[in-house]
Amino acid sequence: MVKKLRSQYPVTIAFLLVSSALMIFPFAWMLLSAFKTPADVYNYPPKWIPSSFKLTNFEEVFRKIPFLRFYANSIFIAVIQTVLQIGISAMGAFALAKLDFPGRGKIRIFMQSSLFVPEVVTMIPLFLLAAWVGMVDTYTGLIIPGLNCAFTTLLLISFFQTIPNELIDAAKVDGCNYYRIFMTIVLPNSRTAIGTASLFAFLTHWRSYMWPLIITNNVKMRTLPIGLKYLVTETQSEYQILMAASLMAIIPVLVVYMLMEKEFIQSITLTGLKS
Amino acid sequence: MKRAATILAVFIVLCMIASPLGAQTKLKVWFAVSGDSGEAFKALLEKYDAMNDDIVIEASYSGNYADTATKVSASLVSNTAPDVALMAAGPLYTGARNDFFIESKIAEPDFNKNDIYPGVWDYAKYNGRICAIPYGISTPVLYYNKAVLDKAGISMANPPKTWSEFIQIAKTAQAKGNISGSSDFWGFDVTDVAWLFKTMLSQNDNTVIAVKGSAVSPAFNDQKAVEVASFWKRLVDEKVMPVGQHANAEKKFLSGNLAFLVATSARIARWSKDQTIQIGAIPMPYFQKPSVALGGNVLIILSKDQKIREASWKLVKFLANTENQTTFALKTGYLPIRKSGLSLPDAKKAVTNNQMYAIAFDQLDISWSYWHFEQMGTMDQILAQTIDVIERNVMTPKAALDKAASDLQAEING
Repeated sequence: MVKKLRSQYPVTIAFLLVSSALMIFPFAWMLLSAFKTPADVYNYPPKWIPSSFKLTNFEEVFRKIPFLRFYANSIFIAVIQTVLQIGISAMGAFALAKLDFPGRGKIRIFMQSSLFVPEVVTMIPLFLLAAWVGMVDTYTGLIIPGLNCAFTTLLLISFFQTIPNELIDAAKVDGCNYYRIFMTIVLPNSRTAIGTASLFAFLTHWRSYMWPLIITNNVKMRTLPIGLKYLVTETQSEYQILMAASLMAIIPVLVVYMLMEKEFIQSITLTGLKS
Repeated sequence: MKRAATILAVFIVLCMIASPLGAQTKLKVWFAVSGDSGEAFKALLEKYDAMNDDIVIEASYSGNYADTATKVSASLVSNTAPDVALMAAGPLYTGARNDFFIESKIAEPDFNKNDIYPGVWDYAKYNGRICAIPYGISTPVLYYNKAVLDKAGISMANPPKTWSEFIQIAKTAQAKGNISGSSDFWGFDVTDVAWLFKTMLSQNDNTVIAVKGSAVSPAFNDQKAVEVASFWKRLVDEKVMPVGQHANAEKKFLSGNLAFLVATSARIARWSKDQTIQIGAIPMPYFQKPSVALGGNVLIILSKDQKIREASWKLVKFLANTENQTTFALKTGYLPIRKSGLSLPDAKKAVTNNQMYAIAFDQLDISWSYWHFEQMGTMDQILAQTIDVIERNVMTPKAALDKAASDLQAEING
């Protein structure tokens, strides 16, 4: 089979191999650099293979920063935010895609336009609000204002619109209310889209840096992206230690991606067909 | 019954006595330095905390300089600002808020303000008045790769004094010192273009900015500045320095592909500890007179509460005393701000054993800074872009500097 593919599409196979290599290169470099000594990092010509495969850089990460605390905070916050965001987005998307009410189009335009506002513009007003209600240095402050529902709602709207209205009408005839339609018809039929939206939401929250930095002062409340910054000084970086920390930091993202991969690819395919 | 009442009374009295003793002042301190610098600063805060039972310090890393600026901006508007902050020098958080509390405090005899280098004080001035305590101060240093110079047969026993002398040596180092046989080997480069350019301007009797009353205007487009920019162009034209690769300069230097590098003195501690190559340093060459521009961070007091401000000042005094500030300097590579710091045994040892420290510390005598103004960050960006334009031969040095001055003036005018 592979041989057949190779002979039929040599250019495509070559292109895919080169593309894959380009994608893999940064990860391979990070993985190898995590084991390098400072001399290896600055070696010229660049040294691919480290002098030794010791875990010194990983030990340094744990010595320099409370890595496990940051890790636990990041996982807790990203998971809660993802669950909340997808819950809110799914309900909102259902209403905007399947219910008829005045101002529906305007709400959608408003949501779309909010995506064009850079985060930094809303940062200080958002902080003022959060500080006013006493959210500084709290998990609530990290989670609630950090929710970013517009993108996932719009993503889910486009998918929910593909669910035939006849299906919903039939459920109504059978006596289902909107809540039941949402829970028993819409959600089970949208697993791929929910999976994709969850992946996007998780990634966004996992790598969020500025908001957690602004809203927290206590080191115990901080997340991994801030933790990684502890390893970068204002004038220099110990790249090998940073790479070791980054390598450990991407593990949850890889796990989430592997869990959602099937849904993610299906969703991309479906939305691609739709468009 | 009587006995129980007596015990209760004694207990109440003890509580009343103990209560004021136990009243602690909480000081919120944010710092914009991480890594070894962050650790060294935190250690000093912990030391102060341990020495003072009535003080509790809540220390927090606030991100890099830019992030800290955003965080402090937000906290100032929402009244959640820290009491003390170690952050990049800038007018927004100090003089521009009309806060000159520190100015009235540095006159205290036990602070000994005359012990601090005059050039360093200029780094904490807004509109001519002192509004912060300079702390993590650094200067550009000219480093060299010893192996490269050895291969090229160049001795640094009598280092070049002027830039004209230097360019010849850099050329020789480039021609004869390629230790790695690389095709990407260069004589000279610099990590922070604007910083070195401002240093050079000062060396050529240009003040970078002109101050008239409280008005600031760009002054970096006169004949003196054009001479400096033309020399910069010469470095590129004579292929001693690569065009527009300054972000990569340090990596190039550490991998043995650069003979000379101008970078911050804050590298010294790290490079001395963890040498991948043998590095030396020489005094910065000059045009008319020796001079180096200062950079770094300052300590500021942001609290509005008088009692907290007094407690904050005591902390700042502790951090900036000779012993503590010099300890911070030696652990991080920042420079001692106090002349007395150089007479401490550790500083003497560092100077004796490490040529890089000796050069950096000596440069404090010729250190220089201009007063802070709102658009100083923008000015550095404009200068870096201007140098890039000159290096790429897009405009002549004169035309590029005129445009830069005009752009900055437009920013200042708002």
